[in-house]
Amino acid sequence: MTSTSVRAEFPNPVGTPPAPRQRARIRALGLPASFLAPAAILLGIWLIYPMVATVVRAFFDDRGDKFVWFENFDRMFSDPIIHTAIKNNVIWILVAPIAVTAFGLLLAVLTERIVWASALKIVLFMPLAISLFAVGVIWRIMYREDTEQGAINASLKVVHDVFKDEGVLPDARPSSDAVSDRFVFTKQLSAGDTALLGLTAISPREVPEGSTQAVEPQSTSGAITGVVWRDFSPGGGTPGTVENGELGIPGVTINLLRGSNTIETATSENDGSFEFADISGSGYRVQVAPKTFAQPYGGVSWLGASLITPSIIIAFLWTSVGFAMVIIGAGLSAIPRDVLEAARTDGGSELQIFRRVTIPLLMPVLTVVFVTQMIGVLKIFDLIYAIAPGSVQNHATTLAFEMWKRSFSGQNNFGLGAAIAAFLMLLFLPFLIYQVRSQRRNL
Amino acid sequence: MKSRRWALLFALALALSVIAAGCGGGDDEEGEGGGGTTAAAAEDVSGTISTVAVWTGAEAKAFQKVVDGFQEKYPNVTVKYKGAKDPGQVISTAVQGGNPPDVAALNSPGLMFDFVDQGALKPIDFAKSDIQANYTPDWVKNGTVNGKLYGVFFKGANKSTVWYNTHAFEDAGIEPPATWEDLIAAGNTLKNSGVPAYAFGAGEGWTLTDLFENLYLRIAGAEKYDQLAEHKIPWTDPSVKETLTEMTKIFKDSGNIAGGTSGALQMQFPDSVSQVFQPSDPKAAMVIEGDFVPGVVAGQTQAKPQTDYNVFKFPSVDGKGADDVVGGGDIVVMFKDNPAARALVKYLASPEAAEIWARQGGFSSPNKSLDTSVYPDEITRTTASALAQAETFRFDLSDLQPSEFGGDAMFTDLQDFFKTSDVDATAKKLEKDAAAAYK
Amino acid sequence: MAAAEVSQPAMRSDATFRNRIANAPVNFFLLLIGIAWLVPAAGLFVTSLLPPEVSNAEGWWNVFSNPSELTFDNYSQLFDNDQITHALFVTAQVTIGATVLPVLFAALAGYALAWIDFPGADLVFVAIVGLMVVPIQMALIPMFTLYNKANLYDTVPGLILFHTAFALPLGIFLLRNFFIGIPKDLMEAARIDGASEWRLFFKVVLPLGLPAIAALAIFQVLFVWNDFLIGFVLAQDNTPIAPTLAGQLRQFGSNLDVIAPASFFSAVIPLTVFALFQRYFVQGLLAGSVK
Repeated sequence: MTSTSVRAEFPNPVGTPPAPRQRARIRALGLPASFLAPAAILLGIWLIYPMVATVVRAFFDDRGDKFVWFENFDRMFSDPIIHTAIKNNVIWILVAPIAVTAFGLLLAVLTERIVWASALKIVLFMPLAISLFAVGVIWRIMYREDTEQGAINASLKVVHDVFKDEGVLPDARPSSDAVSDRFVFTKQLSAGDTALLGLTAISPREVPEGSTQAVEPQSTSGAITGVVWRDFSPGGGTPGTVENGELGIPGVTINLLRGSNTIETATSENDGSFEFADISGSGYRVQVAPKTFAQPYGGVSWLGASLITPSIIIAFLWTSVGFAMVIIGAGLSAIPRDVLEAARTDGGSELQIFRRVTIPLLMPVLTVVFVTQMIGVLKIFDLIYAIAPGSVQNHATTLAFEMWKRSFSGQNNFGLGAAIAAFLMLLFLPFLIYQVRSQRRNL
Repeated sequence: MKSRRWALLFALALALSVIAAGCGGGDDEEGEGGGGTTAAAAEDVSGTISTVAVWTGAEAKAFQKVVDGFQEKYPNVTVKYKGAKDPGQVISTAVQGGNPPDVAALNSPGLMFDFVDQGALKPIDFAKSDIQANYTPDWVKNGTVNGKLYGVFFKGANKSTVWYNTHAFEDAGIEPPATWEDLIAAGNTLKNSGVPAYAFGAGEGWTLTDLFENLYLRIAGAEKYDQLAEHKIPWTDPSVKETLTEMTKIFKDSGNIAGGTSGALQMQFPDSVSQVFQPSDPKAAMVIEGDFVPGVVAGQTQAKPQTDYNVFKFPSVDGKGADDVVGGGDIVVMFKDNPAARALVKYLASPEAAEIWARQGGFSSPNKSLDTSVYPDEITRTTASALAQAETFRFDLSDLQPSEFGGDAMFTDLQDFFKTSDVDATAKKLEKDAAAAYK
Repeated sequence: MAAAEVSQPAMRSDATFRNRIANAPVNFFLLLIGIAWLVPAAGLFVTSLLPPEVSNAEGWWNVFSNPSELTFDNYSQLFDNDQITHALFVTAQVTIGATVLPVLFAALAGYALAWIDFPGADLVFVAIVGLMVVPIQMALIPMFTLYNKANLYDTVPGLILFHTAFALPLGIFLLRNFFIGIPKDLMEAARIDGASEWRLFFKVVLPLGLPAIAALAIFQVLFVWNDFLIGFVLAQDNTPIAPTLAGQLRQFGSNLDVIAPASFFSAVIPLTVFALFQRYFVQGLLAGSVK
């Protein structure tokens, strides 16, 4: 598109003679200058000057008095925390934009086909209207590891429990050496022997309903008898012996082992007693069935060091996918009807059309979304600040976060902060060049 | 029209200069500084001063009453108070910007050292005799830098306390232990009784440094504590390693910690308190933290003092240090020297100011002249008197360090130690980080 | 092409297109997605209705079995909280200022770059496009120092100006690209009627540019209202709502009973703006950025 030259098309309205060429040019500059002045002043002071000032500042010490050459940069690159920050930036750049764009594309395509598209768009776009700090708070709550407190782990637990049962006594331990770590009574048994399976680290509330005082098993000929009980008395008691006040544990499965095979099982009574009748010979062992101690679902450690960055990225996706979906969706509906019809009459599956026609036509929109995400991802601060607990901040950090931390969180090292900011700017340069290039192409 | 405008301007200028003169005059009078407790005529002191401290929410309301008491005494002074979760950060920024508050309550002497270094603080020697009369020598010393008095403690925290769930202790049949060895044994018994013994809000590193400091003071003694605080001995010193080794007795037993070490690392301090004192099925029996725990309990659970929870002193180690107190406090400092600010500082050093907040609860005063009967309950009375009267009192070590270390790296290092229980590696890392901060 | 995009959104896919992919599974999948998307915000809302002892002890979904625990106390305490009400007021001021100014200045500059021929116009525009990329981290340190010297620190105008400056590159980009799409004849017809550049701008160009201007305005409202970092660094007593919430973290207490209702309440404004004007938003953005 060519722009019109004002002076050529429209003479001076007051009626004075046309000005000589030089004067015209200056006057021609006066008008755009006044239109551009406010923007120019603001951009000059708030964007251009700071860029220079930050770079300059990076060469001075934390107070700003001493010129320290490259010391700040040196410090920056030798700091392992900064290394982690850079690593995290790379992860963010590689994962987030493509995930947002791809997911947005998928949803945009699918949403085309439903009646309630507008409603869905609003729902998905809504997170963008919430402050990123609040988003961080929301997800921090949801990521709590405790399955009773964190929504995500609670849902995972529901799924987990469909497949695996929780044991009756997940935390129990043997009360003495008489029972091995695998809950096998260490003494080999023959007919007429008794087994004392004492368990500890059981809360009184964990003992099933109906339990009564544990009983010392009586030796019975031709059988192996035993008791499984909560071997704890206030103050500790004497582990390994059944004492007054100690409750038997009913409903526990006991395995009778011969060698390594379970040949029979029994279930304990209210007083914890169990019996294997019709036993002859020796070489038996008894064991509390391992399923008794099946651990409850512990939940995933979303806020732990290894998962913290992915967890924050997921929260970021929640805010951005809606944006991508809406933009791409609008781009989709802007594709002229006839092109798609033509492709269809030429014969071709939906998938082919999608790949060969739709995607190329969507490229400009997809690129805009993708590049915007890349730029946005490098700047993220609020989410990290809100989601990462103090103990993993150094694992979740990024360059933007470190820049703030070194400058404004009390350390007041403006020199180092400026160095990080300058380095961060360097990372933005490729995008700057890309933007400039594509704009010039469009001119 | 024009002449009237000029007349108005002239009158305004005149009025302003009169007011300015009035203010300026006040400064000359107060210049003598303070021997004795007689205040200059309270009505003469005027102006607006700004203060910053860490107290927000309910605590801010409580402090406001103290301020009201001050404003009653000095009716021409207006005090503006702002609470901030991280007062060091807020004030550093303000100082950097050239606009500090008049008076502030810093929550660590490390910050005070930093500000003295930057030349931002004014000495408060005018209040010296008051302060020496109302505080034990250890407390006065903690407000002194390079021989000059810069700060006085208004609010204190006794961190040598252990809070426990009385029902859990009953079920396990144990009594509050008096020695460290007994504590470990009690921990085992609690575990056997079916409840994990300890809850740590390890997501906030200071909960771990507090444990370290209490042990270190008792194991290594007060002298070495001071040396370590000033980095005169390295963190690889055998005394440090010995303390870390004692800590592994708790940290290695992950099953005896609520949430295990990994869960505890994500837990904030208030959550760790809820874990111990929630009504049904507590997740742990004890939380080893300071006397601010009851405030959290009241705000977040239904547990009642003495019926549901109680406190015992941090135990002695090898028979040493039964009454030692490691504590914290908010230290009142002055950034701008003017009569109103001086008056506020003196006021906060008095038992009068302390009493106003003490009556409201959730407050311990290190002011030994305060009559402890004003505290609203028995538990506070015990912990607060221990704090004010302790023969050996040491300030929380992490708060004495440069903030880069004591507020950041030390926390991270101990959090890693919490996970790994690797004594040698941790000692080395602590030394490395401390050396970097002291450079 | 650009003009056609400006007038109205293209028509929806036709029926045969829709029939080609089985609808039921798509609907179901999207329904799941929709629900999953609502859960986090719903969780925040429910949390904001629970007293602190409850929200700290157990997950908010348990409320469905104990509905009596719900309370509006947190919200009523919110409005007693002076810091929060002040912050909301500050946020409103900054948002209005930082929406009106960028729209005005970007429109002026965009128009000049689109319709006034002067040497270097293209170069200037390309430079501005490049500036779109600059992160605010680059400006924080120098501006912090400058603001303190110029008494702009912790002031509403200070925040407004910072936001405005950083909104300009994108704003000028959007509006200039939009204005260029105005048909030449329209411009000439207006000029022949004897209008000066300024009258042309205010009476012709601005009204025509409403879609893009609306898009920019909405974007600014969302962005400025929810800003965290700028307010966090450049303000102290006059912080906007997001950093104020961060400051509500109590030293030893949990804070959900303040942060949850405040976050939810502060989201109402931008949500409303978005809901009312979403059509313009997408239109304007697309018209400006894709050709």
